[in-house]
Amino acid sequence: MIHTVRQTVLAAAIALGTFSAYAADSIKIGVDGPFTGGSSSMGVSMRDGVRLAVGEINKSGGVLGKKIELVERDDEAKNERGVQIAQELINKEKVVAVVGYINTGVALASQRFFQEAKIPVMNNVATGSVVTHQFDDQPDNYIFRNAAHDSIQAPMIVEEAIARRGFKKVAILADSTNYGQLGRADLEKALELKGIKAVAVEKFNIKDVDMTPQLLKAKEAGAEAVLTYGIGPELAQIANGMTKLGWKVPMVGSWTLSMANFIDNAGPGGEGARMPQTFIQAATTPKRKAFIDTYLKTFKPKNDRIDSPVSAAQGYDSVYLLAAAIKQAQSTEGPKIKEALENLQAPIEGVVTVYNKPFSKADHEAVTANMPVFGEVKGQRVVFAYEDDVKKAAEVRLKDVNAKGALKVEAKKK
Amino acid sequence: MQILLQLIYSGVALGMIYAVIAFGYQLTFATSDTLNFGQGEALMLGALVGLSLVGWGLNFWLMVPLVCLFGAVQGAVVERVGVRPAIKIRSEFGWIMSTIALGIIFKNVAENVWGHDDLRFPSPVPESPIKILGANVLPMEIIVVLGALLMMAAVELFNRKSIYGKAVVATFNDRDAAKLMGINTSLVITFSYALSSMSAAFAGVLIAPLTLTGSTMGAVLGLKAFAVAIIGGLTSGMGVIVGGILLGIAETTTGFYLSTGYKDVPGLVLLLLVLAFKPAGLFGKSVIKKV
Repeated sequence: MIHTVRQTVLAAAIALGTFSAYAADSIKIGVDGPFTGGSSSMGVSMRDGVRLAVGEINKSGGVLGKKIELVERDDEAKNERGVQIAQELINKEKVVAVVGYINTGVALASQRFFQEAKIPVMNNVATGSVVTHQFDDQPDNYIFRNAAHDSIQAPMIVEEAIARRGFKKVAILADSTNYGQLGRADLEKALELKGIKAVAVEKFNIKDVDMTPQLLKAKEAGAEAVLTYGIGPELAQIANGMTKLGWKVPMVGSWTLSMANFIDNAGPGGEGARMPQTFIQAATTPKRKAFIDTYLKTFKPKNDRIDSPVSAAQGYDSVYLLAAAIKQAQSTEGPKIKEALENLQAPIEGVVTVYNKPFSKADHEAVTANMPVFGEVKGQRVVFAYEDDVKKAAEVRLKDVNAKGALKVEAKKK
Repeated sequence: MQILLQLIYSGVALGMIYAVIAFGYQLTFATSDTLNFGQGEALMLGALVGLSLVGWGLNFWLMVPLVCLFGAVQGAVVERVGVRPAIKIRSEFGWIMSTIALGIIFKNVAENVWGHDDLRFPSPVPESPIKILGANVLPMEIIVVLGALLMMAAVELFNRKSIYGKAVVATFNDRDAAKLMGINTSLVITFSYALSSMSAAFAGVLIAPLTLTGSTMGAVLGLKAFAVAIIGGLTSGMGVIVGGILLGIAETTTGFYLSTGYKDVPGLVLLLLVLAFKPAGLFGKSVIKKV
């Protein structure tokens, strides 16, 4: 009798031991994004995309025989929160990699800690051009990205406004964050290449409720179109301000014009706004259809519209890229994952594209200038702006390192 | 000229938004020498409650009194929970911390109930602008200005003419003496907080169709209104209106004539100047505190 009791206790102890060993043996991946505030529609869509991908991977056995465990943190789009979270993820949670970052400022402030700790960061939304070039002066760069960076987006915006639609006078309206101001600089550079100078360059703050002075300046300067770099709520205030002034010119701007909180808050004033998009919520390929269907079924967004389809798709893809690298490296050590990312052997079928050697040692950008298309706000949704793109939508646009149209990115000056 | 007019219109509309919130600061200061630093949050709660009521199919104008009632209750709660204990132990700063803390709690509650995103508030009047003297004004902006003036006039009248108003003045002048004269000073203070939050909630539903509605809408507005209260003087009803309009017009005109990057600077410079040369505010009476 005593014997059996001892045996049971022993068995229980072993079971408990293996269980806790198993829990510690999951692969921890950090997810950092703003889940509250004006950027939250991007952050939450990204997180949901990430959850979807992790769910699928875990269902089919995980990576290296281990489950992926997400450590989700809300950075509130604040740089200082991002820094705290970075330290927590590294020192306390001991994550093997991080996906996320919506806001360029937060990414720039936080990723130095991961660089020092040799932990790979997969930026899946932040678009500031310098994000992947912050550590160009160091031998190893742990910062990767699978989003269309501003040096692609700015020339696309300019091409659309100047070349395709023939506007000669344009005004730039950008917010005062790192994102808006770096984007504004890229827009000015891209305009300069066309020999054009913006007739007005104006700034606004997050939470500004009145855009009258900025819009009046653009109007007085004779702008035929407004190029924007900001986030949803303030972009909506621009559209509403135009309605108020009775001055309606086309809005062409960075991809944030596709955010649900722009479309909803601008209402009819937002119709016709155009922006570059890596992904439009349309079932153009079986993979995309499956993604959209599962997303809608799992998270049930309002009116069956993903709040930020681009963020969701890129969030989803970022996990698959990382998982593939961990599998190839057969290790969860940062340097090995990084090396695998730079030399991914098997193509990865994602929602945005099929990633065929997406990164190399010198190139940490998965998206090139040939990949994004133009979206347009129509009937409170983002649709393809051009018929031609609709016809070719089923075609997956692959990365082309020689794609023309991107600005040259200069390494960040120290 | 037309541009200047447009800037002034926008400035006045913006300024009246600040003024009506600043007015709320004044109401509590007048009775208890304390301020509700959660004023911005009271405004936000009012706007969100209003949005929900409208969402349930209630008419905008029927919703306004309900929101005012909600604001009054919310203000009374703030006073009972946060301010009264501090006043009781005659703490100089306790109420600052507790009103800020309550503000944060209200914000978090709002985030959980209404979500994190900015929402659109349906406008009760047409959203197409009207031309007045060659510049555009939104009908809602006119309602904000008129509504704010009307509300302030009503509260001022009530304070000056009614017996309650006399109790307020007495409480402000000497709380202990007022108590000895049979005035229930703690009730007067609670009532002033209720009135203050009510005005903030009212302001919330008024401005919500112009701004966006969300849990973070109160923060910046509450801060700017505080600057207005300092510029205008914490003891003068006229002061907050002038201060608000001054700040509003300063913001829009600097934005246009100087640079939109500097549009918040003149208002803050004005604040510094007022503090340096007329610390009680442009219209405030300086009170000598005998110790």
